[in-house]
Amino acid sequence: MRPAIRRRPFLPLFVTPAVLVAAAIVAAMAAILRYSLHAYVPGSLDVGGFTLENFADLTRPIVLRALRDTVLICFETALITLVVGYPVAYALVRTRSVLLKSVILVTAVTPLFLGEVVRTYAWTVVLGNTGFVNAMLRQVGLIERPIQFMFTELGVIVALVHVTLPVMVIMLAAALAHIDRDYERAAQSLGAGPVRAFLTVTLPLSMPGVVAGFTTAFAWTFSAFATPQVIGGGKVGVVSTLVYQLGLSSFNFPVAASLSLAGLVLALGTMWAVRRAARPFEAMGGH
Amino acid sequence: MLSKAVDLSPPANLPGTAPSPRPAPAVRLDGVVKRFGTVTALEETWLQVEQGEFLTLLGPSGCGKTTLLNLMAGFLEADAGEIFIGGDLVTATPPYERQIGIVFQNYALFPHMSVAKNVGYGLRMRGVGKREIAERVGQALDLVKLSGLADRSPRQLSGGQQQRVALARALVIRPKVLLLDEPFSALDKNLRGAMQVELKEIQRRLGVTTVFVTHDQGEALSMSDRIVVMSAGRIRQIGTPDQVYRHPQDRFVAGFIGDVNRLPARLEACAGERATVTIRDLRREVEAGALRDCAPGAAVDVFVRPDHLTLRPAGEPGTLPARVAALVYQGSHIDLHADLDLSATEGASAGGRVVVRMPGQGALATHAPGTEIGLLVPQAGLVAFPPEG
Repeated sequence: MRPAIRRRPFLPLFVTPAVLVAAAIVAAMAAILRYSLHAYVPGSLDVGGFTLENFADLTRPIVLRALRDTVLICFETALITLVVGYPVAYALVRTRSVLLKSVILVTAVTPLFLGEVVRTYAWTVVLGNTGFVNAMLRQVGLIERPIQFMFTELGVIVALVHVTLPVMVIMLAAALAHIDRDYERAAQSLGAGPVRAFLTVTLPLSMPGVVAGFTTAFAWTFSAFATPQVIGGGKVGVVSTLVYQLGLSSFNFPVAASLSLAGLVLALGTMWAVRRAARPFEAMGGH
Repeated sequence: MLSKAVDLSPPANLPGTAPSPRPAPAVRLDGVVKRFGTVTALEETWLQVEQGEFLTLLGPSGCGKTTLLNLMAGFLEADAGEIFIGGDLVTATPPYERQIGIVFQNYALFPHMSVAKNVGYGLRMRGVGKREIAERVGQALDLVKLSGLADRSPRQLSGGQQQRVALARALVIRPKVLLLDEPFSALDKNLRGAMQVELKEIQRRLGVTTVFVTHDQGEALSMSDRIVVMSAGRIRQIGTPDQVYRHPQDRFVAGFIGDVNRLPARLEACAGERATVTIRDLRREVEAGALRDCAPGAAVDVFVRPDHLTLRPAGEPGTLPARVAALVYQGSHIDLHADLDLSATEGASAGGRVVVRMPGQGALATHAPGTEIGLLVPQAGLVAFPPEG
């Protein structure tokens, strides 16, 4: 018998951290699943016997509204982020100006290092009734009374777009950078002006990036907590803030757990549906 | 030879150009300059491409040939000078209004469109009717022998087939000029030869003016009506393949086109069109050309092709003494590498390596490395240039 050749001697070393992380996630999920299947005992963190009651609680109007609003807010945020992020990513990839490239990179990427909480508090300064936007509009004379951004869905979406934009720009830029410039040149040599060359060649070829960026932005927004909590101020109910209220204000861990699971299923289901709906567009990219 | 358009249409009346009896050249560059930052990629260039001509831009990478192509295509803007296509001033015209066909190095076939959609793209952009598009796409695919593959995706095609699609896509719009950017470099050697013959045949049949960019001198020599040899952003010589091969006007051209040996020599005298040089003690006549400015006695370099040198027994009068260094078997011929003994030439470096190309295999047995030999230098076919620098 030939001696076994160990082709990848370091494989166990590389895989171990991933296994540990995966094990921790599975354990956490198992704990949540366990909570969701046991009865809530008011005034205690311990749970009672096995029950499906927690999931029945999810059909209450306030929960259903939160689930619906979450999907809508995530969808709108992802869409706006896509529309805002595409030109930025395109300029980032195509500009020959080093200065413009740097400016875009800095403005698009540095927010990532600040974290959601810091950025969200920055937005309260900007969007508040005496904040930057309202002060500007009043100065110019466009409005007499401040526009209410704080504690509204509009305010939450504006802030979420900003929080999500870096991820979208990075993903779109990666996709656009992969498109050989000769495709556009070929289109132009064949008589397509810049707009038509973009619409018939560049845009279809970037569709895989668009779909990936959209779904990532969607998931990113779905899991956002600080932004809807601070900007929404409890008036905009989404899954993450509702889970927080149920779990850490009411200490109703079982219902919070079941709502978490429902949110997870909803997020995965929506993303699956989005991907499926986008399949024809993705195929256009031909990658 | 140039294949001129038969129909002598009246000359286009351009501002500043006198009417000429010939049709306007397919492409004309008047003093075009292109800089990238502080680097001059293309120095002031004057060039005419005649109607129906197959013109090759030949040179090593970075010589400016691709810059020149991109200027013709409109992907780059000239910093100075004017560009005319078919007699029309196009210096400021964007690529999509120049009516040019381009075959890119990697073909740039749209991966999200079928072969037929790729070929029909230019016609759709021009608003041609559906029926006519189908007809012309069919003809174009017939031309490149791909009729059966219209509905395939480009990814399902071989490299050679992809190139044919790219060619059909560029030709179907009936371009004023066809630009080819190193189109054969992605093909393997056998396929490359076949595609060259086929492309040349199609070009001749359609009579389409073609500008071909390559760094491969073999491709340039075999396909072109005229070759533009470029280096360091400058045109070094424009001529037929035979002219640039046999009568290089420039040291760079002499060294770049074909395999060549350099023999250190001295200038004896210049008289009119001819000059006399001595290689060691051999006296040879060359074209005066670039030697006119040299004083008698100056060091010059004589260029001779490997197949023009002949092997003789060592010590035979009228030969250069040398010693065999290596024999390289090449199938149809043998390349014999020999070290010259030029110590008798004043000021010349002690020797130099030359290659002698010999048909057949005889030399393998008789000229083992180390053998002393004599090299017979031909009387004609030599060119000489002043040394570099």
